Amino acid sequence: MTSTVDTARPAGTPPPAARPGARRRARRPLSETALPYLMLAPAVLLMLALLAWPALQVLAISFRKLDLGELVRGELKWVGFDNYTAILTDPEFWVIGLRTLMFTAVVVLTTLLLGLGIAVLMRHLSGWVRVVLQVCLVLAWATPIIATTTIFQWIFDQQYGILNKTLVLIGFDSFKGYSWFTSGTSTLAVIGLLVVWQAVPFIAFTLYAGLVNTPRDLYEAAAIDGASGWAAFRAVSWPSVRPLLTLVTFLSVLWDFKVFTQVWAIRQGGPDGQSTTLPVLLYLRGIAGSHFGVAAAVAVLMLVVLLAVTWRYMRLLIRSPETEL
Amino acid sequence: MLHKSPAQRVALAVFGLVLAGFFLFPTYWMFTTALKTPAQILSPAYDLIPTTATLKNFVNAITKPDFATFITNSLVVTLGAVACALAAGLLAAVPLARLRFRGRKGFILLVLIAQLAPLEALLIPMYLIMRDADLLNSLWGLLLVYVAFTLPFTVWTLRGFVKGIPIELEEAAMVDGCGRWGVFTRVTLPLLGPGLVATSVFSFITAWNEFLYALVFMREKDKQTLPVWLSSFKTAFGTDWGGVMAASVIYAIPALIFFLLVQRKLVSGSTAGAVKG
Repeated sequence: MTSTVDTARPAGTPPPAARPGARRRARRPLSETALPYLMLAPAVLLMLALLAWPALQVLAISFRKLDLGELVRGELKWVGFDNYTAILTDPEFWVIGLRTLMFTAVVVLTTLLLGLGIAVLMRHLSGWVRVVLQVCLVLAWATPIIATTTIFQWIFDQQYGILNKTLVLIGFDSFKGYSWFTSGTSTLAVIGLLVVWQAVPFIAFTLYAGLVNTPRDLYEAAAIDGASGWAAFRAVSWPSVRPLLTLVTFLSVLWDFKVFTQVWAIRQGGPDGQSTTLPVLLYLRGIAGSHFGVAAAVAVLMLVVLLAVTWRYMRLLIRSPETEL
Repeated sequence: MLHKSPAQRVALAVFGLVLAGFFLFPTYWMFTTALKTPAQILSPAYDLIPTTATLKNFVNAITKPDFATFITNSLVVTLGAVACALAAGLLAAVPLARLRFRGRKGFILLVLIAQLAPLEALLIPMYLIMRDADLLNSLWGLLLVYVAFTLPFTVWTLRGFVKGIPIELEEAAMVDGCGRWGVFTRVTLPLLGPGLVATSVFSFITAWNEFLYALVFMREKDKQTLPVWLSSFKTAFGTDWGGVMAASVIYAIPALIFFLLVQRKLVSGSTAGAVKG
């Protein structure tokens, strides 16, 4: 699908797309102008009511003192930027923020490299091996998050976990009864592995779809020209994969930065808060600690960080000729 | 690179199988643990390949009170959310991809920014909204929340897929006498197959997995969903690993069935449409 459109677009898709609309609008003004709005209405109403409106409320709450008492009494207590100063002057926030960014970067990078590698590999594998690999990937993808998280806890279990048993069996006796969750780094490594394991299938299949859409004769032409391996990949595969890669990078950053269920389920941010990330902090302060104002401020700050990280790509998406008609 | 020596082929195949094993192992381990007795699970013996099997864990899980209610609730909410998100998403994607109107860019921006919001953060205002609308403890309420969560991605991705359909095809159908609706059902919709699959997989996973909102909104026992049920296997006395694994298998099966139903289109399509701006 990608390649057909890419070749068709320069031939003049935008003009015909624009003209019929304009022509019809001149003929049947009212129904024509109303139509797009009517079609958008269900989605817009739902998103306004259940995303935009609560999001605005979060923004408002971030300027209020809202603990359980205020919530029950329905009391409005505006405190200006107090919640923000409280968070931004808390050294713990900076540690956790930096840790979340590092975690996101490592997980996204690992996922993308592994996903791209597997996508390329799938293209070069013979029939049945590829099918086996694809089935295993789909199994991993379809297994629900909470189930997977539980499985990982069981594999990494201190006493009966298969990982420690295996390590002892092949001679690493020090892993008998070894706990993988005594330090923040090792806990985050396990969580990272879990997230990567779940995320790779989506990335691999998406990139594989892009690679499959590259015509085979392009590779053959490259081979005739003497390009092999890396050179062929750069000249032929890369252009068709690049836009998809940018897209999945963007989505991965969004998803991995906001990972909550897995981090929470594994050790609730422990030991001693050393594997706490920003979403966990938000949950601890907000839901568990009932400081909804502070939690809202954390949420707004998270959004600001994400906007800053993805701004260039967002601007590209909005400004690109693709959003024009 | 297309013409490989036998040695290269074998090396690639071995590498592929090792990777397959890495992705298969946790799922494999879930299945085999679910088939073990408590004594086997806690035995120090090395048991990577099981020698005996029991279905007792599955029987225990299924005969737990309310199991049928939980799985029905999950299925209703998830499939309902997938259907509603697809319908509303498709309805919005077509004008965004094909029609020129005021506010189009603003809407696209809204759709993009909506994907940045940490959804856990919306829990408190959402709770208040649902309470005021009298939708707490209602499957409809949870369904609407999941539709809202998946709509931005759905709209955005489907819009890309609609744009990917050459407009000449639709124009040709119009010339042949098809009306607006005829063009849509006979030309656009059939070509959107991979896009519909990709987005429905996304909404299915989101709704099927969601835990926090289900836990907070559904306080009545007969309204809870499977993720909440799964968490009930962990007690203060430790985890019943055989039981949890059997429950996880049961929890994963509908997702697996869904994936198998759509997999052919999945592998070919995925989000190919989403890059189209």
